[in-house]
Amino acid sequence: MIRKIYLIGNPNVGKSVIFSRLTGVQVISSNYPGTTVEIARGYLVLDNEKVEVVDLPGTYSLDPTSGAEEVAVSLLKELPRDEIAVINIIDSTNLERNLLLTLQLIEEGFPVVVCMNMCDDAGHRGVHIDFSKLEQLLKVPVISTCALTGMGIKLLTQRIKEAVSSFRGKFTHQQRWLEIGKIIEQVQHLEHRHHTFREIMEDASVRPVTGMIMAAGIIYAAFKFVRFIGEGIINHITDPVFMNIYQPILERLSITWQGKGFWFHLLIGDLINGKIDFKQSLGVLTTAPYIEFGMVLPYVISFYFILSLLEDIGYLPRLAVLLDNLLHRLGLHGYAEIPVLLGFGCNVPGILSTRVLESKRERFIAATIISIGVPCIPLQAMIFGLLGKFGGFYVSGVYLVLFSLVIILGVILNRTLSGYSPEFLLEIPPYRFPPLLMLWKKLYFRIKGFLVEALPVVLLGVCFINILIYFKLFDFVTAIFAPVIHGLFGLPKEAVVALAIGFLRKDVAVGMLMPLGLSANQLFIGATLLAISFPCVASFVVLGKELGLKGLIKSTSIMVGISIIVGALLHFAVLR
Amino acid sequence: MKKLSLIQIKANEKVKILEILGGSNLEEKLLSMGVYKGKSVAKLSHIGLKGPVVIKAGRSILALGHSVAEKIIVEKE
Repeated sequence: MIRKIYLIGNPNVGKSVIFSRLTGVQVISSNYPGTTVEIARGYLVLDNEKVEVVDLPGTYSLDPTSGAEEVAVSLLKELPRDEIAVINIIDSTNLERNLLLTLQLIEEGFPVVVCMNMCDDAGHRGVHIDFSKLEQLLKVPVISTCALTGMGIKLLTQRIKEAVSSFRGKFTHQQRWLEIGKIIEQVQHLEHRHHTFREIMEDASVRPVTGMIMAAGIIYAAFKFVRFIGEGIINHITDPVFMNIYQPILERLSITWQGKGFWFHLLIGDLINGKIDFKQSLGVLTTAPYIEFGMVLPYVISFYFILSLLEDIGYLPRLAVLLDNLLHRLGLHGYAEIPVLLGFGCNVPGILSTRVLESKRERFIAATIISIGVPCIPLQAMIFGLLGKFGGFYVSGVYLVLFSLVIILGVILNRTLSGYSPEFLLEIPPYRFPPLLMLWKKLYFRIKGFLVEALPVVLLGVCFINILIYFKLFDFVTAIFAPVIHGLFGLPKEAVVALAIGFLRKDVAVGMLMPLGLSANQLFIGATLLAISFPCVASFVVLGKELGLKGLIKSTSIMVGISIIVGALLHFAVLR
Repeated sequence: MKKLSLIQIKANEKVKILEILGGSNLEEKLLSMGVYKGKSVAKLSHIGLKGPVVIKAGRSILALGHSVAEKIIVEKE
């Protein structure tokens, strides 16, 4: 009786795609090792019985060398051997390296089914594998699949029951490699072929000169595309909808309401020159939806589209090679680039994925740097929306300040923190071009996640703020912090509210700066402060979860300290 | 035969691994990724200023931090 099915395999062989295919549960999959940092669980119906399927983080062998691998191995031992089935997923384009884990699984006596994934890609690359011969040699079922298109998945589910433990003695790694050599000779046939264009580009991207040129081009293009698509959606879709359809409806509503009273204040907000102004009215039906749908969502779509594309093609690990040098100076190594890039979307997944880094010290540095110097896309969208009209100078200014902060802070942390930073050791996947459908699915998944998390907070948040303003409850707080905000940062004292709201959501917080009539320089300071000061509540919780209470306190005190220093410095540098 | 580290050879050279210095942990880890004594590998590139070395081992492409590459002793084939 099979009670649980485990998916195990080397990093980046497509375990998560197989998992989605088997269970129908959507999980994020990308073309780089270490996408899955949390263990996903789902169900598969096998002979009218619901069986749990567990997607384990990638591991090269059963003797764990990192935290994620340790988790995988300990989970495998939860249940007795005869109640589980282990699906060992293999990247068919790299059978040799993958077989080490397979042999170990068989040696340990696990009931194994071998799933040869990406078999279409293997064919394209001139790798031909004799699956029945492999089945004979390993004495466990071998099924070839292509998870992206779904080919072979049905056969896989049919044959899970056949998972058997085939006995063999225990070996050392050296002995296993010898045996793998023999197996490979019998089952794999490599077609000799010339370097394809794809392979030439793969090599060029990790060589110093060509690599740097490609990296500069790709980063520039990615940034331009995010702006282009984001602005395109705003100018051609969301703004027309808000201005031409939504606004007239609200105007009619506001006339019947006579523009007075608590509910008017709550839902519509203040009229600017007798009209509703989506950027300044600050009502639950006006500014709140405009911030989320009219300013932030377009950029969330464009950012995740570009990020997903880069992820799936497999460019990110190559960038990690080029960035290793720089990140070393900050006490990190090249692969810390992954959490940082994810952090540009939302700090929460960014901080979560610091788990790809091995040591506590690295994770602390990376998480702190992300919370301080990496603005999430909703915040960036608001910065584009607000500062953009004063010229690119101010927008780049914010990025420049944040970038310098990251470098300075990283160097200091690297010099002062005890502990070690382990070495950089990373497998670089080949370029892959996943079907467009997969890309859309992932984009849809991420955008849905964004809306589900953000929308309630934004609506309730604006509602709450309006109630506080209506009953003049902010005046007290404003008065207390006025000396800091006004004296030290040069912002009007009402900006206290915005900075406080930053704990709730950063995009709404910038939104709160909109009606204050700030100068470009003041907006610049306000936006920068919002980026570096306290993290929003969601990141705060994850930060605590990942770093522990002590780490959380340490990290947040650094943030508060730095924002006071930077705020004051910017005030004297820019405003005077 | 001259013993060299992966740092000292040029890009595009094919070499055989003689020894992996520095801790069984590192050796174990490299071993599980298919880099072990006796294995032939090719150096693909080396990012300057103590940057990582990229090698091809079997069908895998691996990036090794500078100090890892330093510990891998090879001989030219």
